[in-house]
Amino acid sequence: MIQPISIDLASLNLASLVPMLIAVGGALLILCIDLANKNLHKSMYVMLTILFLLIDLGSVIGYSGAVRGFFDVMLMDGIAILAQIILLVGSGLFILLALSKKKFNEYRYPEYFALFLFMTAGFQFMVASDNLILIFVGLETASMSLYAMIAMHNRDKSTEAAIKYFTMGALAAAFFAFGSMIFYALTGSVELGQISQSLTASNFENYPVILAGVIFMLAALGFKLTLVPFQIWAPDVYEGSSSAMAGYISIVPKIAVFVVALRFFEIFVGTNNAWVDAILYGVVVITMTLANIIALVQTDVKRMLAYSSISHAGFVMATILIGTTQATQGLFLYWTLFTFTNLGAFAMLWVNRTKHDHGFSSDHSFEKFSGMVKRSPVGASIMGLFMLSNAGIPPFALFWGKMYIIGSVVNAGYIVLALIMALNSAVAVYYYLKLIVYMFLKDPLPEDRMEYLGNANNPLKTVIGISAVVTIASIVFIQPILDIVSYYVQISGF
Amino acid sequence: MEHILSILIFFPAFAAAIAFVVDKDSIRTYGIVVTLIEFIISCYLWAGFDNTNGGLQFSEFIPVITAYGINYNLGVDGISLFLVILTTFMTMISIIGLTETRQLKNLIITVLFLEMTMVGVFVSLDAIIFYLFWELSLVPMLYIVGAWGGNLRIYASIKFFLYTFTGSLVMLVGMLYLGYVYYQTTGTWSFALQDWNMLLMPYDMQMWLFVAFFLGFAIKVPMVPFHTWLPYAHGQAPTIGSVILAAVLLKMGTYGFIRFSLPLFPDASVAMMIPMAVLGVIAIIYTAMVAYAQEDMKQVVAYSSVSHMGVIILGTFALNVEGIGGSIFLMISHGIVSGALFMLVGVIYDRRHTKMINEFGGLASVMPNYATIFGIMLMASVGLPLTIGFVGEFLSLLGFFKVSPFITILAGLTIILGAIYMLVLYKKSFFGPITNDKNKDLKDLNGKELAGLIPLVMLVVYLGVYPKPVLEPVNTSVKQLVQIMHLKAITPEAKAKIAEVNSIGEAK
Repeated sequence: MIQPISIDLASLNLASLVPMLIAVGGALLILCIDLANKNLHKSMYVMLTILFLLIDLGSVIGYSGAVRGFFDVMLMDGIAILAQIILLVGSGLFILLALSKKKFNEYRYPEYFALFLFMTAGFQFMVASDNLILIFVGLETASMSLYAMIAMHNRDKSTEAAIKYFTMGALAAAFFAFGSMIFYALTGSVELGQISQSLTASNFENYPVILAGVIFMLAALGFKLTLVPFQIWAPDVYEGSSSAMAGYISIVPKIAVFVVALRFFEIFVGTNNAWVDAILYGVVVITMTLANIIALVQTDVKRMLAYSSISHAGFVMATILIGTTQATQGLFLYWTLFTFTNLGAFAMLWVNRTKHDHGFSSDHSFEKFSGMVKRSPVGASIMGLFMLSNAGIPPFALFWGKMYIIGSVVNAGYIVLALIMALNSAVAVYYYLKLIVYMFLKDPLPEDRMEYLGNANNPLKTVIGISAVVTIASIVFIQPILDIVSYYVQISGF
Repeated sequence: MEHILSILIFFPAFAAAIAFVVDKDSIRTYGIVVTLIEFIISCYLWAGFDNTNGGLQFSEFIPVITAYGINYNLGVDGISLFLVILTTFMTMISIIGLTETRQLKNLIITVLFLEMTMVGVFVSLDAIIFYLFWELSLVPMLYIVGAWGGNLRIYASIKFFLYTFTGSLVMLVGMLYLGYVYYQTTGTWSFALQDWNMLLMPYDMQMWLFVAFFLGFAIKVPMVPFHTWLPYAHGQAPTIGSVILAAVLLKMGTYGFIRFSLPLFPDASVAMMIPMAVLGVIAIIYTAMVAYAQEDMKQVVAYSSVSHMGVIILGTFALNVEGIGGSIFLMISHGIVSGALFMLVGVIYDRRHTKMINEFGGLASVMPNYATIFGIMLMASVGLPLTIGFVGEFLSLLGFFKVSPFITILAGLTIILGAIYMLVLYKKSFFGPITNDKNKDLKDLNGKELAGLIPLVMLVVYLGVYPKPVLEPVNTSVKQLVQIMHLKAITPEAKAKIAEVNSIGEAK
């Protein structure tokens, strides 16, 4: 007979679940509202979503309970809080892009917004746990919602993208399950903390098996992080999704997965695991370099940005390889700044989305931006600004992230890696300049061929404006951001 | 005088930002007035500058990223003072002499932003802030070359950008490493040059860091073999772009050597004296020969720039007061002279839309004023005594004579070779009968052009005859720099070498 389990409700620390429950509750409420009244405008749903995200954000920032909660599967440490802040702010700015001037299919469905909140909750679970099973559940919740949301864009390419993403994602999920299984078999636990302890205690015996587990996990995480060679899906999916969605995929899911990767590789980094280090080193270098080289030859801005964000992911992955406190701070600093820059860049593509443009090879071909400065000087300057920031030209936002990460790499003694990263930035600048060259140096298109900023209205302009201000004036934000980041990183001991 | 350096940096940027409102027909006057005010502020800076103090003056300090030791840290000394004035002066002159009419408003706004970055480079004392302005200067230049340039403008501008950007990224890694070394030594983060100057580093580390900084600076100078971007950039750039590029942007590289490489890595600098000088001599002789072979006037001037930059490098790496002081003076004189030459080439290009030497001949008879000014500038470029070019060239060579007479004699060919290609250019285009009918009705210099060129002519003669106002503050600061190097050198050989090369005149 099974013993009855009696647990004190207080010991469950249900407060640790509150942020996710707010998102889930919000999603359910949106579904209920839809049942009652079918004729509500998307703007109401967007604003409701924003409200729930804000409440969620408030409960994350104000969280003061114990670090552990809910049968010890929740882990609300500093990193979890920090990552949730970034992903909630990113999500909030993203969902504002739904207020576009033109009508798009997906925003007609309230389910879109419900799925969005479910997805947010999924990501929050991922970052706020060190239990491989809960991470898996969070990952799948978020991914399933994301697949559906991509498909809702309802064009041939979107369906293709969603299916591609789904099949590859299923494979990655299988890898994740497999990797977890190996570690469970080795250590008898699915909690990263305990896995770490028993692996260290046994001095990493059964090394080949551990390595197999690491590779499975790297494949699963690398798929979401678009690390080479698991990046194949990315450009197609970016191209198939709306620009707003592509921007979202390049930012928010990745920060969640970065946190998981950070927690997972923490077990191995700094313990003289030559093989794991070598594998990570290889992945970092190949991801940066290959993505940069492929990006050079793209003819579509969105695909170029897809490869560019792959390369950025490789760049940030270096911090996980290094594993020092400064590197971890660099990760969060970089990603905060990247959120604004990349969101801005994709939002600029989004506002230039028009339905009556023919004769171009793709939705956002470089050609479309020819001579944009003469037709829409402010638009071109802002787009140029995001490109310069992405390229790491000081004093724009990403330069500081780049500098901080390269600095932490140098400080950890990886001079060669630092040089590779620096030279990669030099390669990358070429494709960012390519867009600037098109916008500023080429002759403009005739009026009837292209309508710039056709999808822009005040909410979208506000989002772009916020991103632009953060990108330009980043020099004054770095110190405050670093203060916050280092506070949270230090209290969680990374 | 409290925040005069900040005002100098940000006044043009602010003026540029509000210039979007100014009507495009009035923008030229606006540009002239803004750059004139900027020039007057820089003269005011000179007036307040204490010539007897070789240290940094007008310092400003605002913490920016304290956690990582990055501060907004400005200051000016004799080395940078005249480069700042050169920047403000040449920007003003180039806008006065501007004849471009396409998208004038964008051009002027861009030039003003460029002025901010150039002044910023010369007065920043924090490595990261220096790097910030250094990199930022590429963007307006990219736009100027790419939007107003010739047929190959896009290729030229991207080549220019990629070349310099790559080099400076390596330099950034070097800077970050140096910051880390400082942190390891002292336990605090700092990127301030004043702090770094107190750092003693082992020889190997100095060499590696020297190479990292070298890549950043040498590409900018440009030194052979990294000079290939320059002829393209000059060849395609509009006149104002060439003027600013030759007059100021190239000086950033040589300034970087003096500001960073010499005091930070004294032992490496001593070890690299001869290799650097050899690169300098190759630049002097090889590019002078290339210049002789050019058929395009602008390319002749462009290659002559590379050749003169070789002399500047030679003087800098003489590591004595004469050499370094001379190279700084040569930076200023080259800025004025090459800027003027590019403007003069621009004048003829505006009239004939060609720069090919064989299209011309006998210009002296139709454009006497033009020919006179061109002649004076040409003499200054060659280094005729009593012109501005002579002083710097002579001092640089004199400085290096103490190091190696043989190399100095080779480098002295600069005067002969320079005379050959310049005089041949002058003979072919200005003397003889008018061979091309299109040249018969060319108009001589107009008021706009004269207003730009006459101040330059006056300076060329004045500073050629009486260089003391510039040389004195320069030398005071350079003396201090050499002392720092002598103190900081860790190997006895390097110490002895610095003392030895400085034994010409008044130095210790």
